[in-house]
Amino acid sequence: MQAKTATRDAGDRERCPTGIDGLDNILNGGIPRGNTILLTGSCGTGKTSVSLEFLVHGAIGGESSLFLSVTENSTKLLKNIIPYEFFDESLIKKGKLIFVDMPVIYQKLGLQSIEFNIEDVDILVKAIGNIVTELDIKRLVIDSITSVCYRLKTEEKIREFILRLGKILSEQNCTTILVSEISPSAERYSLYGVEEAIADGIVVMGNLERRGDLLRTIQVVKMRGTQHSRTKYVLDLTPCGVLLVPMLKGGSVAGGA
Amino acid sequence: MPMTPAELAEKLTELPPSSSVSLRFKADSYFDAIRSIVDIFGPKNDLNVIYITSAMPSHSMIEVLEMLEIDMKRIYFVDCISHIMMGAQLKHENVIFVESPTMLENIMLKVEYLMRKTKDKKHVILLDSINSLAIHNNAKILSEFLHIFVNNFRSKGAYTIVFAMDEYSSEEILNMLFMVIENSISVSDSEG
Repeated sequence: MQAKTATRDAGDRERCPTGIDGLDNILNGGIPRGNTILLTGSCGTGKTSVSLEFLVHGAIGGESSLFLSVTENSTKLLKNIIPYEFFDESLIKKGKLIFVDMPVIYQKLGLQSIEFNIEDVDILVKAIGNIVTELDIKRLVIDSITSVCYRLKTEEKIREFILRLGKILSEQNCTTILVSEISPSAERYSLYGVEEAIADGIVVMGNLERRGDLLRTIQVVKMRGTQHSRTKYVLDLTPCGVLLVPMLKGGSVAGGA
Repeated sequence: MPMTPAELAEKLTELPPSSSVSLRFKADSYFDAIRSIVDIFGPKNDLNVIYITSAMPSHSMIEVLEMLEIDMKRIYFVDCISHIMMGAQLKHENVIFVESPTMLENIMLKVEYLMRKTKDKKHVILLDSINSLAIHNNAKILSEFLHIFVNNFRSKGAYTIVFAMDEYSSEEILNMLFMVIENSISVSDSEG
């Protein structure tokens, strides 16, 4: 089976459909292929679930898909994954869906210090680039980029890391989701502020409290290479995958719900 | 004379596919209206029934339907009321719960989920009722919900039927139904 590849009008960018119908509709067919996207939100908003579904659909369609887990051991991650009805464990056995723990890469590269220097950044970018090239990875998720940035510390190193990584991945036509963790009250889309400026797209996930109800929301703020909706949607994480409906506006204005 | 369940089902069957209907009736015709949809109209047209209950907990409704000897295997419930009643949510394979009837988006999401899960057949979606949702939501958000609800599921090929009880329907509710829903049937009157 071949991965879905939506092509729009002449001159329009080739798409990498996420496989999440609602999100692909918002994005007018999917993420422009080769883009590096920042998927940002506070805890419990569904960032990892959206990322995993993006990879699983890619793998089902025959695209090699890689999940680089920085914060959580991937074995534990897989145990807690939503039991997607479309998930097939043979994708992992066949090597179409690959999970790698970032600490293992750090260890193999000898990157043991708490703070990376610019040479370490160079080594890390090259290592990720090599994995993507050798395994012909077409979809990549780094969960989370915030944890990687934590070891880079300075804006200069974060900028260098994301710019160089983005360039390599784009050259490989690899569509990438960088998961970013922010606090619920954060006024920007990434912890260090650099990530959002460099990414080709920003998708914000949130927990919206309305009269005591907590709704999961998603909103595409920016996406280079496509027209897209900027409306906020409510989502649900189900065994059929992530489902979206438009958020009702009556509840978000004074005197609303 | 109120319509019989068979007459009502016949009237619904005459409507084009993916129609939206507001079904108005008096409280004493409540179970006849339910029976006509879940026991006659649904099976006759080979439809799965997605029953959104905000008026009564699903377990009570299931008990009633079982007493009426209605075949339950093609009926799926989105229960919006049990959770806020703080009672034990009795697990049933055909029931999914929404935390509160104020979570209108989640009602649509659960219906969408059930439609995907049971995509072997087309669907009739029964919203029981606009009056009980109006207890928990103001008219502004409820109108918006109804508009998206009806058009969303119509575009997916489903019938949508919205219950409105005569005794509890204010002018505001009737106007809302009139604005959004294309067909209106009064069960109290056999002429419809």
